Amino acid sequence: MQSQLSDFVVADASRCIGCRVCEVACAVAHTATGKEHPVAGNLDSPLLPRLYLVRTPLATAPVQCRHCEDAPCAASCPAGAIRRKDGALVVEEARCVGCKTCMLACPFGAVELVPVYAQGRAVMQTVQTEDGGVCTVSPVMVAVKCDMCTGRQAGPACVQACPRGALRMAAVSDLRRRRCAQAAAGLAKYVTALHPEDGRS
Amino acid sequence: MNGQQNVIRIDSDICTGCGRCKDVCPVGAVEGVQGTPHSIREDVCVLCGQCVQQCSAFASFYEQHPACIAEKKRERGLFVSEAAPLFAAWHTGDAPRVASRLAEGCHSMVQCAPAVRAAIGEEFGMPAGALTPGRLAAALRRLGFDRVYDTNFAADLTIMEEGSELLQRMEGAGPLPMFTSCCPAWVRYAEQQFPDLLEHLSSCKSPQQMAGAVFKSYGAQLDGVDPRQVFSVAVMPCTCKKAEAQRPGMEHDGVRDVDAVLTTGELAAMLRQAHIDFAALPDEPFDRPLGSYSGAGNIFGLTGGVMEAALRTAYELVTGEPVPCTELVYVRGGEGIRHATLTMDGRTFRVAVVAGLQHVRPLLEAVRAGTCDVDFVEVMCCPQGCISGGGQPKVLLPFQRDEVYAARKAALYRHDAELACRKSHENPQVQALYREFLGEPLGHVSHNLLHTVYGQTR
Repeated sequence: MQSQLSDFVVADASRCIGCRVCEVACAVAHTATGKEHPVAGNLDSPLLPRLYLVRTPLATAPVQCRHCEDAPCAASCPAGAIRRKDGALVVEEARCVGCKTCMLACPFGAVELVPVYAQGRAVMQTVQTEDGGVCTVSPVMVAVKCDMCTGRQAGPACVQACPRGALRMAAVSDLRRRRCAQAAAGLAKYVTALHPEDGRS
Repeated sequence: MNGQQNVIRIDSDICTGCGRCKDVCPVGAVEGVQGTPHSIREDVCVLCGQCVQQCSAFASFYEQHPACIAEKKRERGLFVSEAAPLFAAWHTGDAPRVASRLAEGCHSMVQCAPAVRAAIGEEFGMPAGALTPGRLAAALRRLGFDRVYDTNFAADLTIMEEGSELLQRMEGAGPLPMFTSCCPAWVRYAEQQFPDLLEHLSSCKSPQQMAGAVFKSYGAQLDGVDPRQVFSVAVMPCTCKKAEAQRPGMEHDGVRDVDAVLTTGELAAMLRQAHIDFAALPDEPFDRPLGSYSGAGNIFGLTGGVMEAALRTAYELVTGEPVPCTELVYVRGGEGIRHATLTMDGRTFRVAVVAGLQHVRPLLEAVRAGTCDVDFVEVMCCPQGCISGGGQPKVLLPFQRDEVYAARKAALYRHDAELACRKSHENPQVQALYREFLGEPLGHVSHNLLHTVYGQTR
């Protein structure tokens, strides 16, 4: 059976300079404003990226979803809100109940809960309080994660925007085949040297 | 001097030390070790704000406390309710101060630079290159400005003064080449790095300052008010204009030419704050007489524009005939330096246009060495001229910047082409101003109001 592993976006920490352009591009790609050339002044919500720049003494790089084959986020979601679509694991926001189980389950910290914005304002919900059913309001929160910009013609926005070419789509099956080819080429010499009696030089 | 310093700053809480600001700083004023917060050398910075446009390190919603964000907004001179993200590189803001002054009631006069009308629409979801002079005038009126005038008028006035100065110098009245003095970042650079060459700068104030000076003299006279009562505001694509307005010498009888400078982005924030839906406004005219302009004044907003405007007028002053083709496409272009020659009345006239301050040094060194073979040089600090200024709407995706700037440029050229009057000296209101108030270019009144001495830094 030919392997059909999911692709994912991955960062090369040796190239990353920590500029956060990927986060800006991600956030913009996932707002509903539909503006062709977004400018800082007319955003309808805070920048809510789905990849996270990490800066530690050891490495600077953004971290994002691996689109795991066994997808613990999806497996643990009690609302069935995380599903695979065109190879990407995607949150169906309408189903999400904000329980944060996916945050617990994800081994990479690739899921976050964010407020929902509409017309420039956080969407609010009524919540019953403990003391006798008095209602109060709080923002509706939903899980968000990398969806590999499914449906975006130019591919993932973060990959397109990175000024240092530090992000790329990792097509792991192709990568494995390429590396095998390189290894085979390297081995050719080595193996010949092991068996000089074969007469090949 | 306070206003001349620290207009551009880097917030060390937000800066990740990526160093991309260094890539665009034309004067090498940013310093810092990769991965640690950077800082700006104030003695080198020309306040152009290119770092502000470039910076992508923002205060993360996930990491910063809302109270801390609100505090930063107050420190930056922003409206606390503004939703725009905070980036590490920022410029000081004046919008809340202007809004409260307008609310107090005062006799207010406003001007807006050419590049503003080709960009502010982007702040309201309009496409890049949307040309909105009429909406801009309407918006300023809705904000409560008593007189909605235009920097473009003063750009035409600048051509009259600067063109006359150039012709005088060509008769031997001063050193050549003469450099334009419209761009305050360029002036600042010349003052810092080439103080021995300042006599090559045109003595003209910039259009912003000329407009302010005329508002508080002729404009105040027209309205029958004391110049001291006039609140003069400029809307600019530029961050350095904030410092220019504070320069010594930019006043007359103790009255500042310009009291406050807002960037394009700050004006948009004021409109949002006042719930004015810019895109839905009708087209309205600028007020007469100081809001009338030619196409030549309008192209001051892009690289090569001052040169083209000057040549349209100079050709006619020298030869007595109109320039054969109004569109002098050979001075148009993008970042870098370009040269052109023009023959007028048998005399060859050599000009150069510099866009991007990092490209000017070889030319200045040639002037110093006495080997510069040019008569007139336009210098603009920002890569495509003022349409790419540090106070313009900030394009969020770096790979879109070139196409957005190209669209803004095309819009200003389109506007020039559609105007009936395309030469500064043909602007009837400029002619009237000379007739009724100034006398003649480089005359006594002009000298007092429209010219200055560069090199005074305190």
